[in-house]
Amino acid sequence: MRVLPETIGTIYDIGYRSYDGPRLGRRGAIAAIVAAGLRAVFGLGRSGRSKILPWGAIVLAVMPAVVAVAIRVLVGDLIDLYSYENYLWSIGALLPIFVASQAPELVVNDMRHRVLPLYFSRPIGRVDYVGAKLVALTLALLGLTLLPVLILFTGRILAAEDLVAAVGDEMGALPGIVGSGVLHAGVLAALGLAVCSLAGRRAYAAGAVLAVFLIGGVVSGTFQAQGRGLEWIAPFLNPLSILDGARQWLFGGTVAESPVTSADLPLATYGLAAAIMLGVSLAILALRYRRVTT
Amino acid sequence: MPLISTRALTKRYSGGVIALDGLSLELEADVIGLVGANGAGKSTLIRILLGLLEPTDGDASVLDLDTATQGAAIRELVGYMPEHDCLPPDVSATEFVAHMARVSGLPSGAARERTADVLRHVGLYEERYRPIGGYSTGMKQRVKLAQALVHDPRVLFLDEPTNGLDPAGRDEMLALIERIGREFGIAVIVASHLLGEIERVATWLVAIDAGRLLRTAPLASFTERTGQLLIETDEPADGLAARLIARGIDARADGRIVVADLASGDASEFGIYDAVRDEAVALGLALVRLEHRRHQLEDLFRARGTDARVA
Repeated sequence: MRVLPETIGTIYDIGYRSYDGPRLGRRGAIAAIVAAGLRAVFGLGRSGRSKILPWGAIVLAVMPAVVAVAIRVLVGDLIDLYSYENYLWSIGALLPIFVASQAPELVVNDMRHRVLPLYFSRPIGRVDYVGAKLVALTLALLGLTLLPVLILFTGRILAAEDLVAAVGDEMGALPGIVGSGVLHAGVLAALGLAVCSLAGRRAYAAGAVLAVFLIGGVVSGTFQAQGRGLEWIAPFLNPLSILDGARQWLFGGTVAESPVTSADLPLATYGLAAAIMLGVSLAILALRYRRVTT
Repeated sequence: MPLISTRALTKRYSGGVIALDGLSLELEADVIGLVGANGAGKSTLIRILLGLLEPTDGDASVLDLDTATQGAAIRELVGYMPEHDCLPPDVSATEFVAHMARVSGLPSGAARERTADVLRHVGLYEERYRPIGGYSTGMKQRVKLAQALVHDPRVLFLDEPTNGLDPAGRDEMLALIERIGREFGIAVIVASHLLGEIERVATWLVAIDAGRLLRTAPLASFTERTGQLLIETDEPADGLAARLIARGIDARADGRIVVADLASGDASEFGIYDAVRDEAVALGLALVRLEHRRHQLEDLFRARGTDARVA
């Protein structure tokens, strides 16, 4: 047996080392905030408990696509449970839950614990900070608004007997799939962060986001059902139906259950409504972060 | 190239509060103490120098970079430790400091490496993997310092770094600040309302009061000899002062202490010592202390008759 020299385990104070390596400046800073934001949203590097909700939501959002693909493989195209058009409306309930539970992680603590001065004393501005948080939440939301539909899309092609013909058939839907996914993710991220930026604690922020969607959804449902010429109000009370209308306007394809169908308004109205919703959200964020004193 | 220069810097907050009032400075030193009472304008000055706050009037530069137009370039080169709490409770010190390193522009590998180094320098060891929420005030102050230091800044702005620390923690923090300024080669600007602390670490002192510059000078000149002799006796010393005055020496008594002007009278400095000795013997007084009187930092604020809460 070899005897270890005595010096093993000694800690040397090597003194202060300066840093001469690369500095990535503003771009590096923004990338770091986006990456940290994604980690926070998906609970990476955090307890198992904080992973349940985000990953659970993704699994639930993807499940219908997987099932639909499986059915197609087994019984062919006899029944189509989900189309590219109605998928996002079908998993609609998951979106507010995801935003309500995960958006507060991104912004509330930095504001509440006054971390913002530490960010703003580094090479980024307020717009960079808010923009990076928006990108992070948008990317995370694409896991619900784009990933499942892409699985459906890929599955339909792979399940087809004539692969080449299937690619030709399905490819036309791709811009609409990506566009709808980005539209939903981007607008919901802005709306969610705007609501959260006004709340003092994560729990309040989550409650406020849920309130916006649930109250809007319930009231909207009431208007949709009463049938006394006021159906046209219904879609504008629920952010998800505004987005569905905007999606129909941009990429086509109706959803039978959506209040957009019963309201029977020009679809461009929803495009305008969605733009206003996005604009107001961004304005709230801009005002809120301009007011933060450092 | 001066480290920091300001010209007629003025900051008026909405509501009419004047935080800085025509402040002009040229600074160049390893550890600069910025002293003044609470509300004197120290934090406002630091925030303007960081480019976080726009001055109402005047201009300022750090490392020859203009705060109004080159704020982002300045913020790549400086570290800032605010006075207030600024740490999220649910992440560990390692995770938080590494994140802040990356927001300063360091690549992730370098960020991790320097985080480990810096946390060791500020004296955080095993506890650095636990969430910050469970830290003591002293540990939190160390994390605040670490995040300001992690990207190897050229200049470090510390706003009341010893706030809330116990005496031992205070000593350690001051020793660390001194080491950063002297050994790490990073210029430090440390704001404090505690003169006693500034005196221990700074080589240059800037005193401000109500947003105006009181004095900017090397620390030594604040405490230099006054040209006065301080004589302490064991009994009331009015008699001694009267006898010294009779010999043509400018002296005044205050209880058991006599202050004599060394430049007065026709005698040399040693002649005054002789006179003090002889008159003390004649009066049967015992001399307790005989020394050159030095300026005290407190005089600076006292002289202006301001209610500076300085210790």
